Amino acid sequence: MKKKGLVLGSACLLLIVIFAAVMAAGCGGVTGNVTASGSTTVQPIAQAAAEQFMKQNSGANVTVQGGGSSVGVTQVTEGSVNIGNSSRELKPEEEGKGLVDHQIAYDVIVMIVNPSVTVKNLTSAQAKDIFIGKVTNWSQVGGANAPIVVGIRDSASGTREMFDQKILGLTATNPVKPVAGAQESNSNGIMVQKVGSTSNMIGYTSYGYIKSSVKPVQLDGVTGNLANALNNTYPLGRYLHMFTKGKATGATESYINFVLSDDFQTNTVSKEYIPISKAQAAIKK
Amino acid sequence: MVDREWIIKKVLAVLSMLVVVGILLIVVFVTKAALPVITKVGLFNLFSSNWYPPTGHYGIMIFIVGTLLTTVGGLLIGAPLALGTALFLTEMAPRRAATIVTRGVEVLAGIPSIVLGWLGLIILLPWIKALTRTGGTGIFAASIILGIMVMPTITTIAKDALETVPADYRLGSIGLGATRWQTTWRVTLPAAKSGIIVAVILGMGRAIGETMAVALVIGPATSYAKGLFSPTHTLTTKMLMEMGESSGIQRSALFFMALVLLLIAIALIALIRVASRKKAYAR
Amino acid sequence: MNRDLQTTETAFGIEAGSPAVRRSAGRAKRTDRTATVVVWSMAMFGLALLGFIVIAICWKGLLYALNPHFVFGAPRTSAAGGGIWPMVWSSFYLAILTLVIVLPVGVGAAIYMSEYAREGFMTRSVRFGADVLTTVPSIVFGIFGLLLFVTYMGLGYSLLAGALLLALLNLPTIMRTSEEALKAVPNSYREASMGLGASRWHTIKKVVLPSAIPGITTGAILAIGRVVGESAAIVYTVGTFVLKAPLLPTQPAAPMAGNIWYLVSEGGLMIPDAIKIASAEAAFLLLLVLAFNLLARLIAWLYKRKTRTAARFV
Repeated sequence: MKKKGLVLGSACLLLIVIFAAVMAAGCGGVTGNVTASGSTTVQPIAQAAAEQFMKQNSGANVTVQGGGSSVGVTQVTEGSVNIGNSSRELKPEEEGKGLVDHQIAYDVIVMIVNPSVTVKNLTSAQAKDIFIGKVTNWSQVGGANAPIVVGIRDSASGTREMFDQKILGLTATNPVKPVAGAQESNSNGIMVQKVGSTSNMIGYTSYGYIKSSVKPVQLDGVTGNLANALNNTYPLGRYLHMFTKGKATGATESYINFVLSDDFQTNTVSKEYIPISKAQAAIKK
Repeated sequence: MVDREWIIKKVLAVLSMLVVVGILLIVVFVTKAALPVITKVGLFNLFSSNWYPPTGHYGIMIFIVGTLLTTVGGLLIGAPLALGTALFLTEMAPRRAATIVTRGVEVLAGIPSIVLGWLGLIILLPWIKALTRTGGTGIFAASIILGIMVMPTITTIAKDALETVPADYRLGSIGLGATRWQTTWRVTLPAAKSGIIVAVILGMGRAIGETMAVALVIGPATSYAKGLFSPTHTLTTKMLMEMGESSGIQRSALFFMALVLLLIAIALIALIRVASRKKAYAR
Repeated sequence: MNRDLQTTETAFGIEAGSPAVRRSAGRAKRTDRTATVVVWSMAMFGLALLGFIVIAICWKGLLYALNPHFVFGAPRTSAAGGGIWPMVWSSFYLAILTLVIVLPVGVGAAIYMSEYAREGFMTRSVRFGADVLTTVPSIVFGIFGLLLFVTYMGLGYSLLAGALLLALLNLPTIMRTSEEALKAVPNSYREASMGLGASRWHTIKKVVLPSAIPGITTGAILAIGRVVGESAAIVYTVGTFVLKAPLLPTQPAAPMAGNIWYLVSEGGLMIPDAIKIASAEAAFLLLLVLAFNLLARLIAWLYKRKTRTAARFV
């Protein structure tokens, strides 16, 4: 009698333990909250990763907000969020605070024009002259006789900083400015919207944002696309980062691993950006 | 019973002081964040026309001028419309028309600024582009949007001002044989002058502070507007555009712009206090 | 005496007076007619403008906005056909949270200002502070919220940070509408109550406040409209996009007004129909705000009817 009770009792206990273990594992995987904030450039791709990650791990809740790269870096340094998204490298004053860098993709920047513009290619010199205002009419670079409307990013943008450095030749000793009256957009989306709806306008944007409403322009005869950035014939691009305070753990680690996973990189990232593994292997900074 | 009354009275007094605490907090925090740029580059640099962070120039004059021009433009469009509507409501509207117009003004006041800016982006800008063959963005577009936004504010307060003119004034004038318009123009309006000035000043405050709607139609561009249809920036739009990605001294410069706006707000309200001893609350 | 003011019509409707007087009178009448036409057309132009705005927004987005899949569906980050339910939820959650904070403070302050306080330095500074608060640009509020609530107080992007900020933003409005509602309560009520021996607070709690509730409610509903429409202040304190509706006030959220801004700016990368969603969201937001405005008016009207009946017995 006692033995039977013991067997029954331990069988029940075992069942309970197994039941609890299954429950604890969740309806599939990781649980926990992950908060991210920062660059609005990284936000869409991070959101897409969040959606897919949460589908696979229904116990997890990932929220991604914007605010800008600086906000993201500040918040992750203070611990208000788990991940700080950034579209630029750390500034000197942000270093040394224990932030770990996870590069998640390589972003290619392409010049775009309104469909009314017939010019398909610009040399570096021509591009520079247009953006600093030396060349003001499309006819000077092989197009129709029309004044050029210039579009740039706002002065806090990492995209603008890179473009100014690489195309305009901005350095510490050469403070060259874009032409006065250049229209500013503070996001890729608005830039594309403006260039697409304003005749004779030129601007620059991330490769992934190019829609049928705008035409890309070659730089020095090289098309701005992912392949050419990979083989180093196209120079405009930068890494996108997710910073964590110290090494990522728990749900945060799982989420970042998901972002870096082959599955996500090949199926989602590669549509708009260069997957990080390929970029790190091929692109010389 | 006296003790409880006393406690309640003090608690409620504290609650009412929270408004003052709030505004002081804002001034303190914004000033603190603006100090780095003031001490590092100086006021002379800050009020210059050169905004170029890579070389350490943070001149905000372009944005001040932009705010000024859009405010004036918005008032030029919105104030006459508002005054006309106010006159309509107080002097010559039959009751049903008055109700409809009053409700309409309230609805207009409630339209979220992002919705209006969005509309400006997708309807007003293409229209201007087609008509003037320019980029479309700039002071003109912003003035129209701002005019629409300040109109309800000015209408409501001007209406109140006109309504407080004693009926005797009007009756006396009519009794002397004046037409309705003569009465309005020579009697009622001058009597309500201080109230109407308050209305316009408050509309000015609204125009100066508007952000979202203007940001979507003014360009923007960090340069002086060459005309009505060339892009520029205002203090609020520059702050909105760059707050996200900026850091360090550049961010401090943005807070300096916020400080300037705060001081303008305080100055405007002080001006209203001087211009009218009667009105207690702003709308 | 100005000649224009001399009458030209006698009781018999005959034009009298010298030719000069008749001319100036005729001019005055013409001016009157012209002025009337001008003023009428200004008012009608304002109405037409309003109608144009509402119709334009609806035309651009209404069709999609009224689709239940849109309103109650979850957003998609990289495909078309997403919904805005977490955004709608965020807007209402934020509005209610803001009211919970601002109503006690605002009504309390209004009670003090209208029932207890004597005009003096303190009341003048309170009114001055309230007026300045309404003139502060919303972007300044936004970055202040970022500084104080998000960073300094460590709340991060959250509904709570946004609610605290919007409570401050709406405090002057609630104070004003509540004070007006309280002042509209007839003094006879107060005198009767205190004549019966009730203390001041007891009077306020049991007599004055209940009569002012409808007016206060109207102000509160109008404040909801303002909260739901506010965008610059919440972009830096609450958030711009979420996939799941937030449950705790400490979580980030995405009120509709901020979401529209996100969709126009960066959302277009992976969301192919971002513009369509933004248009529909704008239309939905507008209709919501209009509905709240109507609701506030309805309550005010019901209250008027009630007092008209009640007043017969006072």
